[in-house]
Amino acid sequence: MLDEKAKKKALERISKIVGPEYITLNETDRILNAHDAWPLSEAKIRAGEILPLADLVVFPGSVGEISKILVVANDMKLPVTPVGGGAGTCGGTLPIFGGIQLDLKRLNRILEIDHASMLVRVEAGVVGIDLEEEVNRYGYTTGHTPTSLRASNIGGFIATRSGGSMSSLYGKIEDLTLGLQFVLPDGSIIESKAVPRHSVGPDLRQLIIGSEGTLGVITEATLRLFPIPEERRFRSVSFPDIHSGLEAIRKIFRAGILPSVVRLYDPEDAALSFSMHFDFEEGHCMLLLAFDGALEKVKIDEEKSVQICLDEGGCDQGVGPSKRWWEHRYDMYYPTRLTTSGYSIGDTIDIVATYDKLENVYYAMKEAMEAEDAVVMSHFSHMYPNGGSIYMIFFTSQPDAETAWATYKRIWDAGIASCLREGGTMSHQHGVGLSRSTYTENELGSAFDVLKKIKRVLDPNGIMNPGKLGLGVRE
Amino acid sequence: MIESDAVADDVRMCAACPKMCRHVCPTFFAWRSDAPTPHGRALLLHQEFVGTRDIDARGVEVLYQCLECSHCLTWCKPEIDIAKIVELKREELVKTNQQPDAISRLVSLVNETHNPFGEKHAHRNDWLRNREAKGPKLLYFTGCTAAYREKSIAQDTISLLELIGYSLEVMPDEWCCGSPLFRTGNVESGLELARHNAELLNQISAEIILVTCPGCYRALVSDYPNRGIKLNKPVQHISEFLSESSKKLPKVKLDGLVTYHDPCHLGRHSSIFDAPRDVIARVSGSSVTEMEKNKENAMCCGNGAGLRTLFPTHAKKIGAERIQHAKVVRARYLVTSCPFCKNMLASQSENGVIVLDLPELIMMEEKKDQYDKTD
Repeated sequence: MLDEKAKKKALERISKIVGPEYITLNETDRILNAHDAWPLSEAKIRAGEILPLADLVVFPGSVGEISKILVVANDMKLPVTPVGGGAGTCGGTLPIFGGIQLDLKRLNRILEIDHASMLVRVEAGVVGIDLEEEVNRYGYTTGHTPTSLRASNIGGFIATRSGGSMSSLYGKIEDLTLGLQFVLPDGSIIESKAVPRHSVGPDLRQLIIGSEGTLGVITEATLRLFPIPEERRFRSVSFPDIHSGLEAIRKIFRAGILPSVVRLYDPEDAALSFSMHFDFEEGHCMLLLAFDGALEKVKIDEEKSVQICLDEGGCDQGVGPSKRWWEHRYDMYYPTRLTTSGYSIGDTIDIVATYDKLENVYYAMKEAMEAEDAVVMSHFSHMYPNGGSIYMIFFTSQPDAETAWATYKRIWDAGIASCLREGGTMSHQHGVGLSRSTYTENELGSAFDVLKKIKRVLDPNGIMNPGKLGLGVRE
Repeated sequence: MIESDAVADDVRMCAACPKMCRHVCPTFFAWRSDAPTPHGRALLLHQEFVGTRDIDARGVEVLYQCLECSHCLTWCKPEIDIAKIVELKREELVKTNQQPDAISRLVSLVNETHNPFGEKHAHRNDWLRNREAKGPKLLYFTGCTAAYREKSIAQDTISLLELIGYSLEVMPDEWCCGSPLFRTGNVESGLELARHNAELLNQISAEIILVTCPGCYRALVSDYPNRGIKLNKPVQHISEFLSESSKKLPKVKLDGLVTYHDPCHLGRHSSIFDAPRDVIARVSGSSVTEMEKNKENAMCCGNGAGLRTLFPTHAKKIGAERIQHAKVVRARYLVTSCPFCKNMLASQSENGVIVLDLPELIMMEEKKDQYDKTD
């Protein structure tokens, strides 16, 4: 935290840049703007705790202002935590060392749609749903539809290297981001041109995508667009076990089919999500599929996929479960009286692995997490030709806050340890933030040293989002 | 303290939500900050309930940066009505003399002049023209905005109803219905107005009380009876009344698309969505071209619950955005059924979108005829 003199000086200098109405030292504003969507933050809010606060919250209105603010912050060595929608689930936007919370919500302009190239240029503070609705008006979709779409911003998508629920077909944010504008800690504004690809040395965009505000501030992006599909079809198949379901998924991709949605629910998650609405065999898994595109192509893809599923022992469940999931896909993100009662806390460890390791990772994580007093249910989603992710969803309820937070940490530690042991990677799309920052070194191995060196060069004063991604941890 | 188990449970959940409704909150749109949002308001209240932190002056301000439009409720699966909770808290703030000064001034103004604009009470019915109508008698509760700021709505209402065979009576000593006071937590002051109005309304013989303002409508049908003040005749909103009499309505020729803005008090708070649309379709011969955000999901005009009094720039920003919604669907006419909404929307409309209240739309043709005859 800053001393009063530094705070006063920072206020004075930054006020001149953004105007006094866009900077605040007020405690109420700092508390209300500290709110993120990390389940531990949410549980702590319910328990009456106050989340870590910045010393100042600043709402810049342009990339030029951001550049000037970073010059001041670098000069005064002030921690800077960029915040978009504040919808991250890993604590990545919590200003744990105080300083400046750089809130990007005023950068909310959709600048240009390039119809010929099917691209949209957009500022970082635009809310995902606002962008999707705007491009829908012109017959496009961004193809990026995370569950947080109503709350998360474009900059946050890119900063956390996120993936939407239809990433199997449309790609993840690193595939969708063609151009990028960002500001380095020294205030320099960097433009990465929007081109389909290039061979001019390493792709700097990919260094910034997923950097979680530790290397600079993302201010603008050029994203790919897709025509709204002529047809979207849903299909569901139940399987007696995880293995047969995963085999079916693997073979669908191997047949050259890219469904837009591929989600395999384990018996526990299938029972919770679908058994009250659909009749299927107890203990079975449920595979949800969707196919987007031209009608003829979709029909062929669907028929072929269903045949592969039946060959693997699946039982056709029709449109129902898959369509229901689509229509209610945001529901699970809402708090419920059950999941928020007392000192309850639930979270998701989203990991990723290749097909040869997926099942082992799943069983190892489930066993390890259950041993730490967690109720665990899972689904495999965001599947690809070479593997995919597992959503290890857990829930625990404890008698007091201290026990609850400690249990939560133990479940995470056990889950991640078993994931890494079995060859998985500890985050598929939620990023690292604070919740996984202590595991980064183990995950990246020797590559972590490279990341640290890059951080030192770009951010020698360690001002950018210190403590996140396992970088820039201060005493 | 307003704390009850139910309210405490609600704000506890809302305060820690991953912001599933924020994208439709008009004050989030206007400020682009997490403070004036449903979860921001809930967090203030939750921290007070659990003893973490008292609500300070800025917290009070945040609680008055709410339009009480309940748009968030449309998107809330646990069905937490933060607008209702905010209103309860405002009552408490009033009792402890913590309400913003501008709201205190508004209350004084209403107490002195019986309207929130500070206009002379003696001029309240100046809009009224001489008339000699026959037919069943209706009692028209004009409301302050139509009486002082949107007089053509009041005049067109009378003309229209007389045209279709009714005679209208207007109260000689109508006071503000109390809506601005109820919504800002000044219940006792609101009830004084309510008692005065109820006494007069109950004395006048008429089949129904007709209102054009949804704020008045909600006050008369909900706030008054909920607070023990009874009216001895039914209250109807003009849109409902006209919908029931739609066969008698004159036709209007429109040279462009017409869209409809749902006033929050009439739509989300009173569930009247279809009547005004039916009337528009009947008189224009074509259905309303809906804005993307309509009915339960309609965006507020920005004028409610004291926001324009306290934060006029932000309130107008919201109104201007609603005009943009009409432009997106290429509407030439933006019709609403609320003088207060009409006033805000018209103030933010540039050339290209004509903002009208329902009776004004219907009387357009008639007035044109009158002008033609005059010419």
